[in-house]
Amino acid sequence: MEIVESAVHDEARQHAEEAALAALVDQYASTLYRVAFSVLRNQQDAEDAVQEAFLRVLKHRETLGEIRDHRVWLVRIVWNIVLDRKRRAKTRPETDDIADLARVLPAVGLSAEQRASALQHHARVLGCVEKLPAREREVILLSAFEDLSSVEIAAVLGVTESSVRSRLFRARNLLAELLQHKRSTT
Amino acid sequence: MNPSTEDRFDRSAGALAAEETLRMIASLPARPGLEERVKAGLRSAPRRGMVIAWPFASAEGWLHSTGRRAAAAAAIVLAVAGGGWGVYSHIQVAPVPAALVDPQLPNGTGRFSTAGAMHVPKTVEGPMVPAPLVEKQKQPASRGPHSPKHAATKGRGPEDLPGAEKQRKAVE
Repeated sequence: MEIVESAVHDEARQHAEEAALAALVDQYASTLYRVAFSVLRNQQDAEDAVQEAFLRVLKHRETLGEIRDHRVWLVRIVWNIVLDRKRRAKTRPETDDIADLARVLPAVGLSAEQRASALQHHARVLGCVEKLPAREREVILLSAFEDLSSVEIAAVLGVTESSVRSRLFRARNLLAELLQHKRSTT
Repeated sequence: MNPSTEDRFDRSAGALAAEETLRMIASLPARPGLEERVKAGLRSAPRRGMVIAWPFASAEGWLHSTGRRAAAAAAIVLAVAGGGWGVYSHIQVAPVPAALVDPQLPNGTGRFSTAGAMHVPKTVEGPMVPAPLVEKQKQPASRGPHSPKHAATKGRGPEDLPGAEKQRKAVE
């Protein structure tokens, strides 16, 4: 009789965990996708990263109840995944970035010339971002998400809020210098 | 506007434009149906982290109840122990002799023998004295460059050394 009760209890717990996981997917999949895309800049790679993040959650679903802030926790998981993938992947040529951006950028109300000019500008910016030191680059990429506060960025990166602020300051200065240098040389 | 102010303005405008690009990329939506694709991927993922999938385990989790897991563990332990006993019981142990006989030693004392060798002590050799030069002593003594005084200073042999005479006498 005890065995039957235990089996019922296990089954109920499993259903509850699956429901909680499905709710997490509904709520945060798009946020995680945007985080992944900002680093990988490829739709399929970003989707794969989101899938991997939720598979990791599935493996550790027993700990779901102990997590205070699911959003930050999930962003941290997907952030580590995309950084790892980026590190392992070969360096993509800049033309690939432009082609990927051209596919996904909104083109409403832009002429072909304006669209080409915007693409060039974005590609130049992304090229300069890639040249930033890793710490500064990570902070400036995460700060582009308006729904992430500096406290949350600090939690994702595992640093203090003050170091997030100082890194962001340095990143903005370096980025401005790089862009200016690029503009003066072209 | 002086050049430095203009420069600073350009720089901050460039940084702002760059951040605007990053914000735009960060706000790009996913393709529709992302959530469903992720859920489908999760459904097809393995339920539990088992090393080997148990062939009789059903999708509902046959081995998830504690009692059945204990029974399966006991069966595995019995199989391993039974196999071990089977191997042990089939091993043929070599017969042990009833008594061990010590080999006969040549001297019978139980120690190493000298095998008839004799100990001969090393003898110390005495001092070797050269034979006396009698003929040289018989030559007549003469003054000049070949006088004994000169010979003592020029070419003195071991027999002319002080004390050699005493040694010679002692030998004789």
